[in-house]
Amino acid sequence: MLVTLPLVTILVEEDRDSSQTNDERHCSEKGRLFFADNSSPILPAAVPVQDILSVAKLPGIGQVASTIRKRMMSMALHKYLLTTDQVAALDPTKSFTHREFSFTIDNDVYIRYQSFKDCDEMKQEIIRMRPNKIDIGAIFTVQPKHAKMVQPGAFKPLEKELVFDIDMTDYDEIRTCCSGRRGVHCWVCDEQARCLDDAERKAIINYLTLIKGGSQQSKKVILNGNEEIHPHISRSLEIAYEHFDEIVLRDQGILDTEEQWSKLLSLIPDEDTRDTIDKIWQEDKTDSSFMKWEEFEDTLEKKMSKRGSNKQLEFTQKEIVLQYLYPRLDENVTTHLNHLLKSPFCVHPKTGRVCTPISPDDFETFDPFKVPTVVELLDEINSFEDQGADSQASTPDDHNAEPPRHASRLLPDYKKTSLKPYIETFEQFVAGIKKAAVKQDPLAF
Amino acid sequence: MFTQRAAGIKREFGSNVGGIGGGFGGRAPEVITHSGYPHRLQMYNKPPELEITIEEFESFALDRLQVLKAVEMAQLRGQGTDDCRRRINESLSKYLPMHSDRMGGTRPRQIIAERRKDHISHFILRLAFSRSEDLRQWFLRQETALFRHRYREVDSADRQSLLNEISFDLKILSPQEKAKFIEEMDIKGFYPQDEQLFEVDFRRVLDLVGRRQAILRKGRAYIAQSNLATLVINEYQKRLGRALEICAKALPRMDEDERLLPILQNMSSQYGSQEYQSTNAAGAVTADSVDSLTAHFPLCMRQLHGKLKEESHLKHFGRMQFGLFLKGIGLSLPEALLYWRKAFSRMTDDQFQKGYAYNIRHNYGMEGKRTDYTPYSCGKIITTNAPSSGDHHGCPFRHSGQDKLRAMLFHGGLKDSEVRDVADYAQKGHYQIACTKYLELQIQKRRGGGKPSVLAGSQANSGVVIESITHPNQYFDLSLGDGQLKNNNSNGSGKYAASYGSTQNYQR
Ligand code: SF4
Repeated sequence: MLVTLPLVTILVEEDRDSSQTNDERHCSEKGRLFFADNSSPILPAAVPVQDILSVAKLPGIGQVASTIRKRMMSMALHKYLLTTDQVAALDPTKSFTHREFSFTIDNDVYIRYQSFKDCDEMKQEIIRMRPNKIDIGAIFTVQPKHAKMVQPGAFKPLEKELVFDIDMTDYDEIRTCCSGRRGVHCWVCDEQARCLDDAERKAIINYLTLIKGGSQQSKKVILNGNEEIHPHISRSLEIAYEHFDEIVLRDQGILDTEEQWSKLLSLIPDEDTRDTIDKIWQEDKTDSSFMKWEEFEDTLEKKMSKRGSNKQLEFTQKEIVLQYLYPRLDENVTTHLNHLLKSPFCVHPKTGRVCTPISPDDFETFDPFKVPTVVELLDEINSFEDQGADSQASTPDDHNAEPPRHASRLLPDYKKTSLKPYIETFEQFVAGIKKAAVKQDPLAF
Repeated sequence: MFTQRAAGIKREFGSNVGGIGGGFGGRAPEVITHSGYPHRLQMYNKPPELEITIEEFESFALDRLQVLKAVEMAQLRGQGTDDCRRRINESLSKYLPMHSDRMGGTRPRQIIAERRKDHISHFILRLAFSRSEDLRQWFLRQETALFRHRYREVDSADRQSLLNEISFDLKILSPQEKAKFIEEMDIKGFYPQDEQLFEVDFRRVLDLVGRRQAILRKGRAYIAQSNLATLVINEYQKRLGRALEICAKALPRMDEDERLLPILQNMSSQYGSQEYQSTNAAGAVTADSVDSLTAHFPLCMRQLHGKLKEESHLKHFGRMQFGLFLKGIGLSLPEALLYWRKAFSRMTDDQFQKGYAYNIRHNYGMEGKRTDYTPYSCGKIITTNAPSSGDHHGCPFRHSGQDKLRAMLFHGGLKDSEVRDVADYAQKGHYQIACTKYLELQIQKRRGGGKPSVLAGSQANSGVVIESITHPNQYFDLSLGDGQLKNNNSNGSGKYAASYGSTQNYQR
């Protein structure tokens, strides 16, 4: 089923039907998944892969990242990509073999339209090319690596996840804390969503977009005074109001300083109201943002009761609340089938943090600073294996138990690390898509 | 003789989506119901299968072309206004009348003849205008506008009969279902109370969805009866668009009659398909001279130029819009590389070569698909790729807030009253007219040496009048030529409009 996304809901509030169990929740047919995108800038150059132990001791994170990626990333990712196979019953591997990958190698050289016949080939290429960044593209009519061999019109994107992208940089004009270069992606992966064409994606993003305009337009939300407010907007407002005090007034303190509040003033179209409020605020500049907001609300109310029903005034407050809280979506990422997506589980070059999936349950508690970093991961793998060696030494004559060292070899690397729960989230999500696909497929038993 | 041709045409029009179905009789005379043309409005699903003379061929097509031109002109003067409606109706009754079969007063034979002419002329023009992307776009735009106009003019029985012909999955909600839906979604005031509610796959009403005039639930769109028109018109546009593409693909393989070819070509050349041809030879402008020409840049380009200086960088769409414009004014590739290299002063040579040089060469057709890209028209700048946070591209008349726009105009040397005038146009959605006015004032000021005119009244008001701005490069050329295009031959003024559509009214 195609989801009609009340995006605010997804991002700041729990899903409405919280009756489902956790597993079903993020693995439901809704098929959405989120990634904390900690990886905007690309990784620095990688050096030849060496023994993990020695690499781990090198200072450059890039090298470590390359090692880690070799061992872990491709497996988890590959799982999802292969899942779409099962969906495409016609040709069981097309969704992997016809999927575009793009590598960014040293000196920011982009290599687009790569494709692989299977997981092994992909791994080998990753080891050989040592990309600093891997992007995922669409599934094409022809294997992307053969794109040049067919007629220009015959190479076309067919499917891609429907993705919503929120970038921290888009919040620069309103936020007063935190550094940029972070964001979150929402992937909608069920079959119908994957098959949407550009025009359909565009209609969806337009439906959802409330924040419009570039750097030259300070007022970015304008509600149409002649129309009834659309239910999507009224629901969004409900949610936004719930969180406004906490996020905007307390955490961001948007009215604390004159520089900050003048931004808000510029969003009030009515000159008279704007001046009145400015005067009030000027009187006691040190008032808290809460106080000032209350004064703003009072002023609006007084003006309205004086002038009678006035849509513009009535909407002013709503528009401001939305401008500060409604998700700012990057239209281009959603609109184009051919737009590349940052690969999950990639690593931020400066912080070394891994881009991880988030379950919708964990939004409130998710802390971007708590996700594992590459260095930690390597330490974890190493100490896991050390422990394995230790325990083997301590119980040399236990013949029934499998030798732990051997077991640790069999265990995929990621299971030895704190990345494990994230990969499991991902696996559950993938399992959910599979289940939904089976349900939809009339030929499946 | 013509039979063969007609058959040829039929083959090319190919896509035969459903037949003429339904069978809505109403009070229409039997003759009409059983003729090939039972409906007053047509979806033009089936190509004509009949013989016509070559004279008829030509005159039918030319008549329809008159109508399409009138449609375009009327829309320019104010889409959706009574005046627009009247103009289209006038042209229709002169060239392409279509009487109702239920009003009486028109003989069935004539009604059938009218519908036949409507049918045939549509298909001839389809053929004539499928030759290039620009022509297809123009034809599609005008035909859709014509269809919209007619749909609004006819009565509900005619509309119903059209709906039957289209037949797609459209569910009418019963009053109970409607009440239930409204309660579940908590949307009392959203839909008009006394109207029926329809449920349809959201993909059929993308623009209603995009404008939030529908409510989405689980991939289904819920639309009010009053929006049904949009649905029908969309369907028409979609089918015609697809048919035009099919036709275009088949065109090279078509064994056209030598007698038809010139007629077809002549037809479409009335709406010439030249791309914007720079009047400025490449090389006329150097990297160093760009800055000295900014006085002739339209506001969109001044903004980009200013931001480029200020930030030593522009984002992708900004680079495209500005870069192609510079190409249009005559900046050659080597000069362009030099210009951008200097402009991105905070970047290392290496970064520049890796990240940007390719794109610049690409714009000049030296990389990738080797398409020689043309500068963006106002229409494209205004309607596509609206800027988002951090972007500086777009059209200031469209994409800047009123305050910013006014400041810009003021900065451009306009007096308060002039600022108000121009900004007013922009606010009403007449972005290109605002831009035209702005240039007129600029030229006027330049001629007057910047001093206020001593002549009061009529002469001062009459001022400079130039052709409408449809392209930033045309703005540049006009500004440089003091209101005239350099090679202002009879065809000159049409060329921008021809390739990029014309001044349009945009819906906010
Ligand atoms: S109307 Fe055209 S030329 Fe004028 S500013 Fe807008 S886009 Fe530029």
